[in-house]
Amino acid sequence: MLKVLLKKQFTEVFRGYFFDAKKNRMRSKLSVAAWFLFFFIIMVGVLGGMFTAMASSLCAPLTAEGMGWLYFLLMGSISILMGAFGSVFNTYSSLYLAKDNDLLLSMPIPVRDIVGARLLNVYLLGAMYSAVAILPALIVYWITAGATAARVVCGVALFLIVAAVVLLLSTVLGWVVAKISLHVRNKSFVTVLVSLLFVAAYYFFYFKANDFIQDLLLHAQEYGARIKGAAYGLYLFGRVGEGDWGAAALFLAATLVCLVLIWIVLLRSFVSIVISSGRVEKVRYVEKRAKERSAFGALLGKEFSRFAASPNYILNCGLGVLLLPAMGVLLLVKGREICEAIGGVFAAYPGAVEVLLCTALCLLSSMNDMATPSVSLEGKSLWIPQSLPLEPKAVLRAKACVQLILSCLPMLFAGVCAACIVDAPLALRALLCVFPAVYAAFSAMFGSVVGVKLPLLNWTDEIAPIKRGGAITIVLFGSWLLCVAFAGLYLFVGYRLGATVYLALCTALFAALALVLLRWLDTKGSRLFAAL
Amino acid sequence: MLNIEHLTKTYGEKKAVDDLSLHILPGEIYGFIGHNGAGKSTTIKSAVGILQFDAGTITVCGKNILDDPLACKRELAYIPDNPDLYEFMSGIKYLNFVADVFGVSADVRQERIRKYAELFELAGDLAQPISAYSHGMKQKLAIIAAWMHTPKLIVMDEPFVGLDPKASHLLKQMMREHCDAGGAIFFSTHVLEVAEKLCDKVAIIKQGRLVKAGTMDEVKGDDSLEEVFLELEAE
Repeated sequence: MLKVLLKKQFTEVFRGYFFDAKKNRMRSKLSVAAWFLFFFIIMVGVLGGMFTAMASSLCAPLTAEGMGWLYFLLMGSISILMGAFGSVFNTYSSLYLAKDNDLLLSMPIPVRDIVGARLLNVYLLGAMYSAVAILPALIVYWITAGATAARVVCGVALFLIVAAVVLLLSTVLGWVVAKISLHVRNKSFVTVLVSLLFVAAYYFFYFKANDFIQDLLLHAQEYGARIKGAAYGLYLFGRVGEGDWGAAALFLAATLVCLVLIWIVLLRSFVSIVISSGRVEKVRYVEKRAKERSAFGALLGKEFSRFAASPNYILNCGLGVLLLPAMGVLLLVKGREICEAIGGVFAAYPGAVEVLLCTALCLLSSMNDMATPSVSLEGKSLWIPQSLPLEPKAVLRAKACVQLILSCLPMLFAGVCAACIVDAPLALRALLCVFPAVYAAFSAMFGSVVGVKLPLLNWTDEIAPIKRGGAITIVLFGSWLLCVAFAGLYLFVGYRLGATVYLALCTALFAALALVLLRWLDTKGSRLFAAL
Repeated sequence: MLNIEHLTKTYGEKKAVDDLSLHILPGEIYGFIGHNGAGKSTTIKSAVGILQFDAGTITVCGKNILDDPLACKRELAYIPDNPDLYEFMSGIKYLNFVADVFGVSADVRQERIRKYAELFELAGDLAQPISAYSHGMKQKLAIIAAWMHTPKLIVMDEPFVGLDPKASHLLKQMMREHCDAGGAIFFSTHVLEVAEKLCDKVAIIKQGRLVKAGTMDEVKGDDSLEEVFLELEAE
């Protein structure tokens, strides 16, 4: 039974590799192989390569100082973080949110088998994620310090311990997430906030990692002594990788005890968490007089509600709403230094600073593409706008309008901030405000057009149209290419016209294109939408 | 109220609806019966303007659905077989959205929402997100939304699926009251007993073609509707 359940679990995890949801059929063997090759390249080639480079820079200096344990403590911690980060949401969704929990619990399957299969799935996925960091660390160590029997056996034990710790952490964190989600009312806001904090923390550590490693190598003895004195357990954890039998046995035993404890707790709480409705405290309806809106106002309100209700939608298609004002503030604070640096590099191209500032704003604005998946997100509820007395062009305009509002206003703010810090004539400053806003308007129209041309309506998971659809890929990469072309063209020939003329021409061009696309949405786009 | 003349719709090679004609008059509850895949939903979707068809004419209150779809849609309300509503909205937000689209004034909508939500025992749940609703609750919400703007014609695809007995009874009453007030109802169903008791007229469709239509007495004679239907299916 466990084997059957585990097979089902893994088929679900890698379903996208075997099944083409867009075409609603199984992929060919060649296509499956290509997808797995792609996965292998990302995991081993990109991530594995990155951690191999990191391990190589740390291993030799630390082992030379007799601080191999610190090397393993560091790499082990990174792999635990990597595994837990990759597994926590998987644990939450596969343990507590799995749609087949009710079905499986209604069958004559012991709860321990269901929990066992789910945990084993989490363990194996956690092991896979953590292996990306810990295996290169072990291999680099064996090459650098020599691969004795003790080091290899204890190294394997370290890998098993790391994977088990990942399981423990992600199970506990997944349980916390499940408990919180049962009580939090505004889930989408909390999810967006937590995700943004994660991303901010990730980039903070990413940019600080090099300084941290250099500092560690310079003061390895000092830090080592402090850790050993304050947290002897961490020292022992590092010693496992160095081939210390005693430390390995101790940690294996401790991990085993923790696993048994978590098993007992999960077995006891699994059913109660799974069968709870997951609803927050019921919101009582209090009758109040509604505010009347026009049909278009109702459509616009509906689109904003959809956007605000989905963390996936916000995080994947609306980050520009936050990044553009942040960029504006950054420009006000550090703008003059940035302009001087850009001006120094592109001294031969007068006006390059202003054009490149516009390019940066346009690139940030391309993080806003909420209009693109909007038609696809109608999904099975497409009958509503189609059966109500609504003009298709009003429906499409409302979708474009959401992006227009959410992009143009922050873009205008960022443009004004940019205009404040550049040393340029008034006309150029005015264009710095106008051009980015016009580009944002064009971007909204472009996204809407592609969205209605390439709709994906038969999705089961909203992430498909939001993140993986052809429309979103075209719009995202198309916008980037356009930005690069805009800057490249200026540096290639445009600078001869001067920034003011170049930006004025581009403003006129994008405004004209936006109007053409709007016209297309009102005519052909509307007919396409009505026929979906 | 609703005239369907020589409607034909094909999906690839398959004719889903083949030269079908139906006439629904004011005051009539018109039942539409057929096996799975017979073409009921295709006909209904064509009639409410959400499916483009290959040939034929459909008029709602004298207006052509192809020439003036908005005018037709203002006169009708549609409830699909599966009430896939906007799950990101609360029940009350959805009702207000529909009311805004139809231009129902704030006072009128408030009164109607109160009336129907209390009848369907949904008033306490209107602030809840639709994603938290059961199938039956969604169906009730779709019914309230359909009655929101007092349409002349109500078109429903399997409206009784998922409703509890009390709500089913209530819906039947509402259908009768609507038609007594001069409106018309066109609905599909697999529950032949309901159709037999409720409908003034009935049409039976088989493989896209209309095989029998008329008043209940004309269609079933002295037999039960179930017997007639099974007999026609066996032919």
